[in-house]
Amino acid sequence: MFHQTPLKTATVLLLAGLAVAYGLSTGFFGLELLTEVAILAILAIALDLVAGYGGMISLCHGALYGVGAYAFGSATVLLGWGAPAGLAMAVGGGALFAWAIGAVTARTHGIFFIMATLAFGQMAYAYLFESPVFGGNDGLPGVPRLDASALGLDLNDSLTFALTCLALALLAYAVSAALLRSGFGRTLVGIRANEARMRVLGLPVWRHKAAAFGVSGALAGLAGALAAQHTMYISPGLLHWTVSGELLIMVILGGLGTLVGAALGAGVLVFLKHEVSRFTDHWHLVVGLVLIAAVLAGGRGLYGQLEHLWERRRAARRAPPETPAPDEETTGHA
Amino acid sequence: MTADVSFWIVQALNALQLSMLFFLLSVGLTVIFGLLHFVNLAHGALYALGAFVGFTAATLAGSYWAAFAAAPIVVALVGVLLYWALIRRMRSAGPMNQVLVTFGLIFVFLDVFRIGWGDIALGFAEPELFSGRSELLGVVYPTYRLFIIGLGLAVLAALSLVLTRTQIGAIIRAGVDNDAMAACMGINVERVFFLVFCVGCALAGLAGAVAAPVLSVTTDMGTAILIPTLIVVVIGGLGSLKGAIAGSLLIGFVQTFGSVLAPQLAAILIYALLAGVLILKPAGLFPARG
Repeated sequence: MFHQTPLKTATVLLLAGLAVAYGLSTGFFGLELLTEVAILAILAIALDLVAGYGGMISLCHGALYGVGAYAFGSATVLLGWGAPAGLAMAVGGGALFAWAIGAVTARTHGIFFIMATLAFGQMAYAYLFESPVFGGNDGLPGVPRLDASALGLDLNDSLTFALTCLALALLAYAVSAALLRSGFGRTLVGIRANEARMRVLGLPVWRHKAAAFGVSGALAGLAGALAAQHTMYISPGLLHWTVSGELLIMVILGGLGTLVGAALGAGVLVFLKHEVSRFTDHWHLVVGLVLIAAVLAGGRGLYGQLEHLWERRRAARRAPPETPAPDEETTGHA
Repeated sequence: MTADVSFWIVQALNALQLSMLFFLLSVGLTVIFGLLHFVNLAHGALYALGAFVGFTAATLAGSYWAAFAAAPIVVALVGVLLYWALIRRMRSAGPMNQVLVTFGLIFVFLDVFRIGWGDIALGFAEPELFSGRSELLGVVYPTYRLFIIGLGLAVLAALSLVLTRTQIGAIIRAGVDNDAMAACMGINVERVFFLVFCVGCALAGLAGAVAAPVLSVTTDMGTAILIPTLIVVVIGGLGSLKGAIAGSLLIGFVQTFGSVLAPQLAAILIYALLAGVLILKPAGLFPARG
């Protein structure tokens, strides 16, 4: 179940503070990285919402991200409706596509769910790859950024854009946290814990699963619209299943089912990739080994491990020293 | 073009050849799924490893048959290493962790191939015995592709004989059906798992070596074939030989005829097929467990 613990709040504030400090002190290239991290953090939070709390391990979040980017791109470049309409279409399109996937796949579980989401994601990828309307394999260049001069912001400035993305990532976190603390969020966790029991209690399980997937899709669509504005170019590569795979890596590196961990994982993976590529071309090897090590180490992820240690220390402090909790050691290895 | 009978025959043979390649890969994957409940995304990487090892063996020995012999053995040995180092520990870790660990393996293998063999597409010649073309049903068709079809059918026949007619086959089927009960009956399920995993890896390596002369050997060949293979396995139903056959034929024919008859739709067709099967029959067409 989701709790906005003091540790979580502190981590969110620390990460946001670090990101702002990094943004203010770095140059153009650092800002590009920071923007990428902020956008992927939104996407990772969206994935953690369904994977960590709903038990729905999705391999189609790359596709939802891409659908958002293409919705924004077609609204601005192809239809000329402007960026605000593009944003709305990206969020709405992502939500709608995700809701449909969630509704159709609600009956499948485990590996079948993973494969079903993969199938829908790859369908979207294959369609956009072939479709001449959306530029096919070449993608769509010349995507404009939102004109926010009414708010006194110039989004074509790297720093402003990076900070805007960061603010939106915080907003995505706040929305997800609020949702998980609501009755709907508790129901979602209940479905993950025991779907049969929730069904027996009279809950329309599929509707909750689809709705959760829809919300996740809306966030992913937002991330896609931001990514389209960031690089000002979109291509079918955004939708490929390996993007979804890398997202899962981020979530597991940071800590599945912690929300803030997903954002942390996005930051760690982007900077790890960047740092490793300075020394060698073979960043895949390093990331692969780090991932395997992270899962073998217990799969809690960075934030999950921190939270685990924190809880253990608090439990130890609460228990009187002469009678240590007998199962403390065993739970440590569970 | 489409009115010509020979067109249909050639395309059917192409489809059959692709199906057999899928079969060699998916049969190992499906039994590993069914028996070990293990999601091995690295199966495609093992197939690519088979192709690379085959390339080296064929170049060193100057003969295709060196590749044919070396690839399954080397890949099975790598499978043994993987089993002891990773797979055994990940057995009960849930699909999420298995997907992640084997996804990590894909990354590791990708760079190992790039370090070991470079980024350039490689290839080696088919055996002289099967080079050239031969006539079949009134069409001229590359002999080597007929060899692939024959090999696939031979493996299929051997596997179905072993699975249905021998004691080890009965043990494997029992393990897929209910591993706890099989263990209670005194079967060393762990050892059966290990054996099956090695055979699955060897077949993946064999598929790589067999496919190499037809398709070129590239670092991303494993990822490219992984998704269709997974689709075959899921459509067929986890753990069943019948499912692997049906899925392979279905995907092989849909993909081949899709790309000649409706090129725009071809890429979407197999995913639509998968989605349709999962919605109508969430456990696949021929699930091993009823």
